[in-house]
This record gives sequence, structure tokens and C-alpha cells, in this order.
Amino acid sequence: MTERLDKHILKNGMVLLGEPMEAVESVAFVCMLPGGAARLPDGCCGAGSVIDDWIFRGAGDRNSRQLGDALDGLGLHRASSVGSSHITFGAALEAENLPQALDLYADIILEPHLKKDQFELARQLAIDGVHALDDDPRQKVMLKLREQFYPSPLGRSTLGNIDELTALTAKSTRAIIKGNFNLSETIFAVAGKYDFDAIAGQMENLFETGRKKLLEPVTFGAKSSEYTHIHNDGAQVHIGLMTETVKPTDEDYYNAMVAVSVLSGGMSARLFTEVREKRGLCYAIGARYHGLKDAAGVMCYAGTTPENGQKTLDVIIGEFNRLSEGISEEEIQRAKVGLKSSLILQSESSSSRAGGIAGDYYMFGRVRNLDEIKNKVEATSVDSVLGFLRNNKFQDFTVVTIGPKCLK
Amino acid sequence: MEFKKKKLTNGLNLIGEVNKSAKSAAVGFFVKTGARDEPEQVNGVSHFLEHMLFKGTERLSALEVNEAFDRTGTEFNAATSEENTVFFAKVLPEYLIEVTKLWIELMRPALRDEDFDVEKNVIKEEIAMYKDLPSFDVMDRCRSLHFDGHPCGNSVLGSEESVGNLTAEQMRGYFARRYAPNNMVLACAGNFDWGQICSIVEESCSKWQKQAVGRKLEHCPGSKKKKRFEKPNLAREHICLMSPGVPAQDPRRFAALLLAAIVGDDVGSRFFWELVDKALAEAAAMQFGAMDGTGVFHSYIRCSSENVTEVLDTIKGIFGSLSKNGITKDELKKAKNKMLSALVIKNELPMGRLLDLGFNWIYLEQYRTIEDDISAIRAVTVDDVHSLMEQFNLGDFTQLSIGPAQDRGQRTEDRGQKTEDRF
Repeated sequence: MTERLDKHILKNGMVLLGEPMEAVESVAFVCMLPGGAARLPDGCCGAGSVIDDWIFRGAGDRNSRQLGDALDGLGLHRASSVGSSHITFGAALEAENLPQALDLYADIILEPHLKKDQFELARQLAIDGVHALDDDPRQKVMLKLREQFYPSPLGRSTLGNIDELTALTAKSTRAIIKGNFNLSETIFAVAGKYDFDAIAGQMENLFETGRKKLLEPVTFGAKSSEYTHIHNDGAQVHIGLMTETVKPTDEDYYNAMVAVSVLSGGMSARLFTEVREKRGLCYAIGARYHGLKDAAGVMCYAGTTPENGQKTLDVIIGEFNRLSEGISEEEIQRAKVGLKSSLILQSESSSSRAGGIAGDYYMFGRVRNLDEIKNKVEATSVDSVLGFLRNNKFQDFTVVTIGPKCLK
Repeated sequence: MEFKKKKLTNGLNLIGEVNKSAKSAAVGFFVKTGARDEPEQVNGVSHFLEHMLFKGTERLSALEVNEAFDRTGTEFNAATSEENTVFFAKVLPEYLIEVTKLWIELMRPALRDEDFDVEKNVIKEEIAMYKDLPSFDVMDRCRSLHFDGHPCGNSVLGSEESVGNLTAEQMRGYFARRYAPNNMVLACAGNFDWGQICSIVEESCSKWQKQAVGRKLEHCPGSKKKKRFEKPNLAREHICLMSPGVPAQDPRRFAALLLAAIVGDDVGSRFFWELVDKALAEAAAMQFGAMDGTGVFHSYIRCSSENVTEVLDTIKGIFGSLSKNGITKDELKKAKNKMLSALVIKNELPMGRLLDLGFNWIYLEQYRTIEDDISAIRAVTVDDVHSLMEQFNLGDFTQLSIGPAQDRGQRTEDRGQKTEDRF
């Protein structure tokens, strides 16, 4: 596979990346700003959700309605999210509209109006989002799990909590934006059909600002308890479980990915087979690798009726423990093929590639070539994966449940 | 892009769109059967059967089926709706033949009693899972209220009771009647060799027996009933509105899609500016669903209990203003731009192409290029949307809400007929 990477560093330090794709007429971009939940000052949990909404409520010479209409007029499909480390804005669109879209996003990032009346609405929606989480126990259990598993503030809720959202003011939130929208630590990536020189020139003009001092690194607190139960008289008990493993930058990262794939990569993987196919305990069951720059874990979800809850949790933990006892050559082969295929299948989407190259640059300080990833996956073996698991056992589980009764 | 088609003498349709520059291929079976085709006593059988097709054949066990898919690194799944059951996979070109052979084999499943018994538990878990998702639950209940006896109101999952009472024998009977070759389409998109696919299908599927299959089509004007259910563990009010629209076979479906986007797209729509931007509701969206012989506009709104009256009054105002003043040219233009770019982006992936290809054949027996759809969207005028609204008044809707228990004193007339049902 031959893919090209375009790279340009703006005078202000912002990194601009691009991956051209021949077969598409679309382009997608993402902009990762260092304003994620873990970068927020204490007592401001949820400010990311407010900011994510507030900055779109008028920017440059357009009010909120005019800005929304201008974005819609370009046929943009917008996506934004708040993660642990970054606030990410992005869109997919027809390639010819990219220059106008960049003009609008420069206004949103550099010159948002941040009016007080609009702040109240943005904050109300963020508070509503936290309330609505009570009606979505599956999402809630995973957010709570991250909060319990990661050392504070890495797992801090990206949606926020009601008390801290209520205490936020337009003034304090403006100060967070000013501090965290640090262009010198921002990564901007495009993928699809584009002219890189034209984009680099346009971005230099739009973001002509001086370099800023880098943000202070985050200091970590302690982890929370091992087991948390939240009562809810729903139809199911929702189980979230997480255990520590190596970070993406660790030399054993690919062994960890293959191990998780043996556990839960496809329908023939261990968890699906043992929990659902053989015992019929769950409809939804799965585990995946979840990696931040400073910590990582294997994250598992299962939803089951209360009478099956304990058995489900016991079988899941049994499968995590059993993994280091032995893995067949066939299982390793299936895990490798699955990882390699999904890499190629995802590479056809411009949105997925833009997100992929930006994420790589943040995590590794460079963009990994697809062939490099394929070769690293290919280089793993039964012995290397088992060796990794024996030295890095999946043990010490953090568990969160939401449902009518707690588990042991 | 090159379109290909072939029909076997037993009625099985095989269609494909070849794109040699794609890095992947997609392949799937579209079976024209779903909840609306189920007699009441076997409600939920189409969806349960979709699960059972992965449980193996006379030759393969369930575990062997899963291993066979995973050996090729395929991303595969299946879905059942009111009127279709679709099995689909995206795959690297070098594995396409192997995966197509596997799908073909699975379309003639063993339906073993012991697999049926274990999978019944999984289906019951799935029913329980959706009960904990009020945004899904409210749509399902509203659909049943809107269609009020019309088969499109049948629940796709079925109830714990209907699934509990279902026997493997009843499922085998349903399978024999509905999975007939003349009721199925095999579609491929992306990078593949048409000639090879044809010979495999001819060799493996020609022996499948044609059956007399059919479906009674009837338009449904909707009950326009209003109901509210209480569920004590909920925090928010979940509201679903449904009103009738044009069927999938009607060329006005493009005007209907644009109207739904103008009223209720996630951003930039009337719902967005009047409800979400003003923080009255945190979610408010309308979509149009074209079905076989009928169609529905459906909206989902989530808000706090305190805001319900204001939200419903605002929606009434939006519908009233639309029927009085119509839409603007500018609104239509923005809705078209968003829809056209979505169409282009979706169709860049073989999987996106496969779904359009398959459904166009299921509903229209027609091949439509992306350009055909682009032209049809571009051709819609403000007058087209207005005449559609005259025939299908969005304000004439069925309404179902679920939310937390409320103070009886707060209830107001315009929130419709109340029921005391609890679930």
C-alpha cells in the first residue's frame, strides 16, 4: 500500500497534516485542540461540552444563525467531540468547498463571539446532556468506568457533572478557552481530495498568530475504588469492566492489540463464544483496547438481565484470566487477519483517515505508515503474545455496574 | 462503475456494481421479509431467524461459521426491519468469493432445536436491552400506535411472550415460505469479478425452490392517537411523533426526504433553531422513512418534564407556519447541499453503495446510479415540497411519549389522551 503523507508546520507551531486519497471526491478534516476534559482546571468538569457548543454560536462577522446557515450552505457534515486530552472539531464535505469551510472554522477557533446569553443556552444543553445520561445506562456505565479506572483527572467525565456545570460562568469559561485553545499544540489534518500547498498557504494566513507557551503537563491523582454500583430499576444490569495494560507507545503494544483481539476481536473470539454463543447470557458483549497517552486499559461491556448478572461477570473475568494460559495458532492468525483487514477497510473513508493521522501524530509524534502497522501486527506470534500476557497479566479489575442489584 | 444483473430461473436476482479502483468489496443478501410479514402468533420470528442463520448449516456448526468469517477478516452483520432482512459484509477483494460462498451456504440453515433454545435467551436479552433504551422504545411503541393494526406496526423484536412461545417448528415453516429465491436479492459492490460471482451463484443457488410469496400492500393514514406512558426510573421525557408520507416506490420520496431535513435535520433545521438552539429540548430530529406501499415522517424529541408543554406548543407552531407559509428557497437549497454531500460521501464506500443498490432493487427493481439520485434531488422544487405538504399534513400526527411519573395536577389538555399503563 502506498500512501503519501503531507506535512507542514505553521509559524505559530500548529501541525498541518494531509493524506491524499485518489478514489474520492470528498475531503474530511479534523482539528484537535488541547482542551479535553483532563486539561480543564479543577471544578470545571463539563466545560468542554459547553465550549463545544458555545463557540459555534456566532464567530467573526456572523451571528449564531448566520454561522449555522453558512456551514449548512456548504453541505458540511459536522462532527465534534470532547475527549480526555482534546476537543476535536471536524467535518466531511465535497472537496471544492474546503477553502470556504476553513475560513469559517478559523473564525470559530480564533474569533468566537462568546456572548453571555448564548453561554446560558450552551450550559443548559450540557446540563441536559448529563441528565439524559440517566436514561442511557449503557453509556453511563462506560463513562463512570473510565472515571474509576484512570488516575484522576485522566478519566474525568467528558460530559461533566451537574454541580460543576452549574458553577461555571461565562467569564470562567472564556478564560478556559483562552488558555486551552493553544494553537502551538494544535493538530490539523485533512484526508481525501485536496491541494496541500493551497491549504498550507490559506492556513498560514488564517492562523497568523504568535507561538504560545506550551500548557502545563497534567499531574495525576489516585485511582478510585475497585467496585461501584449505581442503582437503577431498569430491565438489565449493565456491566463495565477494565484492567490495566501497556500504552500505545510501549514496545508490546501490538502484542496487546492481538491479545485483545483473541479475547474479543470477532464473533469467534473468546468472549462472544463463551458468554453469548455457548451460554446465551447476553446480547451485547465485547472488549476493546482503550489507550490514552499516559495510561491504557482493556475495556469490556456486557448487558444482561439481573438473574444472569453474576454469572456473566464471573465468566468474563474467567476469560480474562484464562488468556495467558494458552492461545492456539489459529486464534492468533484470525486475530491478525482481523486487525489487518480492519486497517485497510477503514482506510477508504476520508473521515476515518483524517482522524487516524491526527490521532497518530498526537500519540506518537509521527504518523505511522499502514505498511508499518501491518508488519508489526504480522510480527507477533503465539509466543510473543503469551510472553507479553505472562509479564502483563490481565488482573486487578475495576468494575462498575448499573442496574436493579449489585454484584459480588 | 459498471452495473451487472442476472436472474436465475427460480427467480433469484443477482446484481452488482463493479468498481475496480475500490480497495474493498461488499456483498449481501436482501430478503424481502420482516415483522410486517409475520402472523401475530409468531411475532418476532423474522428477527430471531436472522440470528439463527448464523447458527450454522448441516455442514457447519455456529462456531465454525464464526471462525470462517473471522479467518477472512470480514466485517459482517445483519439487520431486520419491518419489511426486510439484510445480511451484509465488507471484505478485502481477495476474500470476496469465500465470503459470498459462505453467505450462500448460510441462506440454507440447519435451524437446530438446541441452537434455537440457546439463542432464544439471547433474543430475550436483546429485548431487555432495548427496554433500557427509551429513545428506541418510544419509537417502537409509537410505530405500533400509529399503524394501529396495519402490519407495519408489528414489533421487529417481538415481545418476551411472543418470542417465549415461538417454536423451532414454526420458525422452520416461516423460513420455508419467506426465504424463497424469488423473494431474495444477492448484491455486490466494489472491487470484484462479476463472472466468478455468477458462476458460483448459478452452481449453488439454482436448486433453491421457487415459492408463491407475496405481501399485501395498503397505505396507512395513521391513527393520530396520543398516548403517554410512565416509567418511574426515567429522568427525561421521550416523545415520538409519526405522520403518513409517500411510499418507497413514489418519485416524491426525494421531496419527502428534503422536507424532513428542513424540519428536523440534526443541525440547521426548524427543530434545531426553535428547540435545540434555544435549549428547550436537547434532541429534536425528524426523518422520513419510505416503506413498501406506505411511508412515515417520524420525529424524536427529548426534553425535561418541565419543558414538555412549551416544546409541544413550539412544534405545533412550526407545523402551523409550514402549512401556512411553506418553506423558503434558501431552506431547500441548504437541505439539498447537505443531502448531496452525504450521498457522495456514503457512496465512496462499497458498503454504502451496496445498501443503495440492494434497496433500489428490492423496492423498485431498478438500477439507479449515484448521478440519477443527485439529479432527482436537484430537481425538487419548492412547489413540489408544498404540494406534498398539502397532501400529507405534518400536523396530523400520532404521538407517544414515555417519561417519569409526574404530578397529576400538572397535566394539561393538549398533552393528549393519558393512559395509566406502566411497564
